[in-house]
Amino acid sequence: MTRQLSTLTASTLFAATLFSLSLTLPLAAQADAIKQTKGSFEDKFRQLDETLPTNNSYRTASGQPGHAYWQQQVDYTIEATLDEANRRLIASQTVSYANNSPDTLKYLWLQLDQNVFKRNSLSELSDDFGGTGRRGPAVQAGDADTPARLSLGELRRQQYMDDTELGYEIHAVETASGNALPYTIVGTLMRIDLDRPLNPGSDTRFRIDFSFNIVEEDAISARSGYEHFPDDERPGGNDIFLMAQWFPRLAAYTDYEGWTNKEFLGRGEFTLEFGDYEVAITVPDDHIVSSTGTLENPRQVLTATQIQRLEEAENAARPVYIVTPEEALENEREGTDGSKTWRFKADNVRDFSWASSRKFIWDAKGYQQPGADVPLVMAMSFFPKEGDPLWSEYSTEAVIHTLQVYSRFSFDYPYPVAQSVNGPVGGMEYPMITFNGPRTELQDDGSRTYSLAEKRFLISVVIHEIGHIYFPMTVNSDERQWTWMDEGINSFLEAVASREWDPDMPWGVEPSDIVGYMVSSDQQPIMTQSDSVTRLGPNAYGKPATALDILRETIMGRELFDFAFREYSTRWRFKRPTPADFFRTMEDASGVDLDWFWRGWFYSTDHVDISLDSIYQMRLDTKDPDIDYPRRRQEQADKPESLASARNREQGIPIWVEQNPDVRDFYDDNDQFTVTNKERNAYDSFLDGLEDWERTVFERAVAEDKKYYVLEFSNIGGLVMPLILQLNYADGSSEDMYVPAEIWRRSPQNVRKLVVSDKDLLSVVLDPRWETADANIENNHYPRRIIPSRVEAYKAAQGSSLIGRDIMQDIKTERKSANTEDETEQ
Amino acid sequence: MKTARTVFLLLATAFFFFGPVHAHQQKLAITRLVFNERSGSLEVMHRFYLHDAEHAVRQLFDTTADILATEETRVRFGHYVSELFQLRDESGQIIALDFVGQEIEGNHIWVYQEHSPLENWQALSVRHGALREIWPEQTNMVNIEYKAGIRTLTFFESIDELSLTLRAPDGHQTPE
Repeated sequence: MTRQLSTLTASTLFAATLFSLSLTLPLAAQADAIKQTKGSFEDKFRQLDETLPTNNSYRTASGQPGHAYWQQQVDYTIEATLDEANRRLIASQTVSYANNSPDTLKYLWLQLDQNVFKRNSLSELSDDFGGTGRRGPAVQAGDADTPARLSLGELRRQQYMDDTELGYEIHAVETASGNALPYTIVGTLMRIDLDRPLNPGSDTRFRIDFSFNIVEEDAISARSGYEHFPDDERPGGNDIFLMAQWFPRLAAYTDYEGWTNKEFLGRGEFTLEFGDYEVAITVPDDHIVSSTGTLENPRQVLTATQIQRLEEAENAARPVYIVTPEEALENEREGTDGSKTWRFKADNVRDFSWASSRKFIWDAKGYQQPGADVPLVMAMSFFPKEGDPLWSEYSTEAVIHTLQVYSRFSFDYPYPVAQSVNGPVGGMEYPMITFNGPRTELQDDGSRTYSLAEKRFLISVVIHEIGHIYFPMTVNSDERQWTWMDEGINSFLEAVASREWDPDMPWGVEPSDIVGYMVSSDQQPIMTQSDSVTRLGPNAYGKPATALDILRETIMGRELFDFAFREYSTRWRFKRPTPADFFRTMEDASGVDLDWFWRGWFYSTDHVDISLDSIYQMRLDTKDPDIDYPRRRQEQADKPESLASARNREQGIPIWVEQNPDVRDFYDDNDQFTVTNKERNAYDSFLDGLEDWERTVFERAVAEDKKYYVLEFSNIGGLVMPLILQLNYADGSSEDMYVPAEIWRRSPQNVRKLVVSDKDLLSVVLDPRWETADANIENNHYPRRIIPSRVEAYKAAQGSSLIGRDIMQDIKTERKSANTEDETEQ
Repeated sequence: MKTARTVFLLLATAFFFFGPVHAHQQKLAITRLVFNERSGSLEVMHRFYLHDAEHAVRQLFDTTADILATEETRVRFGHYVSELFQLRDESGQIIALDFVGQEIEGNHIWVYQEHSPLENWQALSVRHGALREIWPEQTNMVNIEYKAGIRTLTFFESIDELSLTLRAPDGHQTPE
């Protein structure tokens, strides 16, 4: 219900905005730019430029690459051999390093990521036993009452590391002319001291020979490694090899951080340079290799049939098997002594990864993008029988769907292949190739089935990992520092693409889902370096994805958001953006000041909880005493009768004036609302005193006699957000109203909004569609509505779910009914 | 060493999934603990990722258990979670929680418990071991929504039990 306040005259209507502000004492007298030591004001809209790095000739204040933008170019030629029996990789690489920076470099830093598995790595040495955020098997530290615990997984990991020499063995580091270069290994990093300083605009070449034992993924918890299948018919079983972080990669040298030689601790991922690759991979000759790049020697490694099938696949309506399930099954039964060398070439990629196994089924389907730099993309999947029939059905199709949606939001897919490979890694991304984990269940009858949840998992993980080929493989953000820049942006687009696959599946990124994390006391701002985040999932994936979803759907609108986001994507395609470049571009291209949004969502741990506290109704006085005074009289009459008077009447207590009707005077016939000419004259002189335009405005306002409602809001959660209102009127109609977040700019704790209407307002709902991640729904209703808790709601209507029965398996259920003649009925 | 034997007994059937975090198996559950003055009960609402729960029931119950397909598995999961969540008051007395039920909503499964009536507890000790025995890297966050403030207890790695005294926290939450 709206609350009736005393009516206001025209002149005080405008004064109504001057209600005294409620005063709250500052909790701590600590001065900063946003909150001062005096008063309670918080500058939620303080501009970000003093927080963001100063713009320069490499990165502009508008968020685009500057006129002097540069990045290094690092080309690799690699000869690698997979020693399947010993699960070792032996390789030699020649690196060509072009110094496009304005600086002279005396040394180069490389990333030796395999060294993270060494016993003496910083990651291992700094492992907080039982601490938080560690990748890998679990341990429990114990205390006086609880015994310390090591999981079997951790013991397996420890034993594996005892038994297997892990990390790189560096055999040679030499100049192109064969002279040894001095090098120093610092954990997962290696510094190579050049024989002469590398001047700006110059390049240098050097060679590294190396080898390492491939980790067993299930034992070590890595982003790559081998998975063993002991039950295959081939004696000794088979392996799938997923090779990533497998060669010494140049650390990035950047304008904003210099050498990005922050040690790999296992969490914050990679900061890499673009370059061209030529890689020769020698594997057993019955293996199928999936790799970054295009295959340069198909006639030497594929059969004529396989080459013909690949051609068919280019224009196929559905994926075509290059290696059929039957052929793969045949293949994995036998072994070989021979080997083959697969040659791949990849241009302008920031990394290179590959997979190899004799178990692989392989399918492909062409994706045409007319007018693009790469008009034909081969979408391909590689998977063992353990992934089928799920993978045959959906993997390659999901790859293509991802390309269609992501290209619309950013740019044409820039590479000739896009691949999804099934192995031991749950989900991981590299240029042109991704590793995805979903599997199927072997049933007793020998068939393989999967649940609806596993199907959803496959489709969404493929979308997610293929999406990473755009972010960060092409828009080359710094994963070591800012996980959200690739994971948050990509989770946002993954949700968009998933909804476009099937809106009926609950794919996530509903703003209300992130509330539990955002109200918790266990969190850091999104703008926190990856290795320091305690809950990486909601911090770097869920919250930024939700923030972008809200920007698109609620704050900016799809048109402005999509234009700005595409601008960011194309500006930084094949370049290296920082968070500031993203924040600046989104504003620069949309014309929307979002500094308050970046501050609230990315730099703070505030949450959204806006309360609609009250609504006051007002009515414009006409100043005409013949109208206003009767209104006052009616208001008086509408008030409830005094309780004491009513009881007096009920008890028959005699009333003096009733018992003495003969004693009357003027005031018995003229109440306090009686109008005299004195008021009429005042009204006339008021009208006379108005300017013409004032009279016009006044008369119209009186004639319209609209209702004025003041809605009062308070900001409980700290984050400022738009006020999205649903106004419900007495006549049954309702109206939506959007009040931009800027309403909070000078009063971040409390604001009021005036609503003028012809109709009687019955109720108001704030954020009726739950689009702002508002933590408390109950205080979004005025008048207050009892919102049942989940427990109450559940008890009121017992929920049940039919989705995701494994109907594929259940359909085989024998009918037990005695009425066999009814079998044909549904 | 006593501890090592505990390990093997507790975790002999454990199978671990590792790999970069992605949007599916998050191994992160969030529980709301709400003092519902209106209904007069202490409500406990556990939210698990459906995909986590789907894999968990196959390890907890049997390899064919399907939480999406069968009500029976969902009920078993609900009871399982309830058994591994424990509240004690300041004197160490267990606060008995009634099992209410469970339901799937979107990509989450919720499990509900409650204790009625509300009592004047001075402190709570909380244990939340659900899924942590099979995946010790499972993290369970418990948001205690008391008065106008929320404080979070996070169960991860070595933490089995956490306590807090019940008073409205400092901070920018508006006092009521």
